[in-house]
Amino acid sequence: MQNIQKPVVSSSSAELQREVAELLIECLNLEIAVDQIDPDAPLYGEGLGLDSIDVLEVALVVSKRYGMQLRADSADNQHTFSSLRSLSDHIAAQRTR
Amino acid sequence: MTAGPKAEQVADWAHTPERSNMFLLRVMVWISLRLGRRAGRVVLHGIAAYFLLFAPASRRASEHYLRRVFDRAPGWRDQYRHFFTFAATIHDRIYLVNRRFDLFEFEVHGEDALRRLLAGGKGLFLMGAHLGSFEVIRAIGWKYADLRVAMVMHQGNAQKIIATLAAINPQATQDIIGMGHVDSMLRVRERLDEGSVVGMLADRTPGGEALHPVRVLGGDTNLPIGPFRMAALLQRPVVFMTGLYLGGNRYSVHFEPLADFSAVARDQRDAAVEAAVVRYAALLDQYCRRAPYNWFNFFDFWPSANVEGKPAP
Repeated sequence: MQNIQKPVVSSSSAELQREVAELLIECLNLEIAVDQIDPDAPLYGEGLGLDSIDVLEVALVVSKRYGMQLRADSADNQHTFSSLRSLSDHIAAQRTR
Repeated sequence: MTAGPKAEQVADWAHTPERSNMFLLRVMVWISLRLGRRAGRVVLHGIAAYFLLFAPASRRASEHYLRRVFDRAPGWRDQYRHFFTFAATIHDRIYLVNRRFDLFEFEVHGEDALRRLLAGGKGLFLMGAHLGSFEVIRAIGWKYADLRVAMVMHQGNAQKIIATLAAINPQATQDIIGMGHVDSMLRVRERLDEGSVVGMLADRTPGGEALHPVRVLGGDTNLPIGPFRMAALLQRPVVFMTGLYLGGNRYSVHFEPLADFSAVARDQRDAAVEAAVVRYAALLDQYCRRAPYNWFNFFDFWPSANVEGKPAP
């Protein structure tokens, strides 16, 4: 059972990760390819080098696209925006469309 | 080369003015709350003299600025008055934070435009500068019980200012949003959604931010585009604000509509942001000429090694 399920989950999450990476590149006009984003590198500050206004832009685009709310008082925000992987995971868990 | 002036500008303001600013504020809080505004003001002369004699970097910056705004070489009296005005506005912050608005006379311009923009209920950005006193917004906010103001500032400054404000009036601190957190911007958005005014000083950068070349008082410099990008993303109107110190207990407060991003489409955003930065620079220019001693950027605002002819990246 697990052997069948696992690859399915990871391939769909890889797909979502790719989609979110494309979204990041498009909305921030980043001059890099999807494959160049290390899913575990920090998005904020070092790593991808986004500033807090970039993060706001990402938050706005993501919440619109996936029909979810990102709230300032959520303790998870730091974690959510820590990397492409954690952002994708958060979307996978919270999306309504 | 583009990184050079950027880094220098950061080092300059991050190290000198805020530090002396905080030191001044602490000394002044002590004197003023115990002895009153008049007694506190005697000390301001000592502070102005101290700056004139023992703060060569600030003195050079003052001289450079005054030369530009007056188009002549400033004398020591001009510089003394410049430092005195700076010290006086910092001193008055103590009373403003303590809601002693009765001590002052405010002459307010452009209030109708501000009211009109606020009527939408979706909040707006108030962009100030290190020009005059932004703290007078507290007096305006108090006059209208429904006007709530949150200040956005860089994290390092935010912490120092929160600590000092807490010493003056613990209730004054809850209005500050420090930048640099992942969710700083989400907090800004929530404040706006509540109909609050979000204030920021848009003439300095903590570094690493995109800059746009502008002309202020006939010289080339670069201003951060971050504050305007934020306003554009959140699609809010932007109003310029300054509280010019006129001497004695008088301030003239000016509100000028600067930009309105409410209906700016995404593909026009960058152009609208650049236009707003240029307009902001023109307003700085205009109000510097109107009240020359109110400019409180005591660092080299016009980096000599300018990126001449080179557009910002």
